[in-house]
Amino acid sequence: MIMMLPFLTGMLTVWFGIRGQRRMCLSLWFITLLIFAAWCQVHMTDPLGFSL
Amino acid sequence: MASNYFYDNDAFRYSRAINTLALAGVCAVLLMAFVWQIAFNELPCPLCLLQRLAFVMVGVGLLLNIRFGPSPLHYGMVIISALAGAFASGRQVLLHIAPGDAGYGSPFLGLHFYTWALLLFVAFLVYCGFMLMLDRRSADHANPRRCSRTAGAVMWLFFLLVLANMVSTLLECGFGPCADDPVAYLWLSLGS
Repeated sequence: MIMMLPFLTGMLTVWFGIRGQRRMCLSLWFITLLIFAAWCQVHMTDPLGFSL
Repeated sequence: MASNYFYDNDAFRYSRAINTLALAGVCAVLLMAFVWQIAFNELPCPLCLLQRLAFVMVGVGLLLNIRFGPSPLHYGMVIISALAGAFASGRQVLLHIAPGDAGYGSPFLGLHFYTWALLLFVAFLVYCGFMLMLDRRSADHANPRRCSRTAGAVMWLFFLLVLANMVSTLLECGFGPCADDPVAYLWLSLGS
């Protein structure tokens, strides 16, 4: 996994938002969200040290 | 007409001003995390980076509210992003909640940054609740609108902070995953 990748897509999202291209902005925001979810799968699925 | 004051096409400026303030708040959070990282050489862990990313996604929804006018679509983006961030920060709180655990990084005003992040993400959810009530008659506009200089400055500051975070993450992790407990910038320590 490439940790900087969602920041790259996030930066492009902001760029297109500022430039007024909403469709591109929305698409990239959704891609960033998907990468976020994938990275959560990698970093947040270890068992906790206690029972909930 | 006073009753239509908030709902005139031109009168969304109050909503946009509030969204500009909220985006400035997101910038302050990202800036604070960045200053802390550099001043105290505390490198962000993968979960910390995910929380920063969630703040960026929250900021995108706010930015669209400023650029295109308030819309339920944009508030929906903020809500989903804040929930994602609350999920990541809540997980980190649970990781360090056991008695005797010192937590990750140094605390700020008595709370660790991931705890502050959780509180802020919940605050953004509450913010969206109130703003959706305030902007209840807003329609979705696909065409961008002119922004004030202040709003433009905040949006560009936001862009620069996201860019800085991307460069910082690149220096810390390169084109790969980050260490769970990072102690040095990967790319800065390659030559030594």
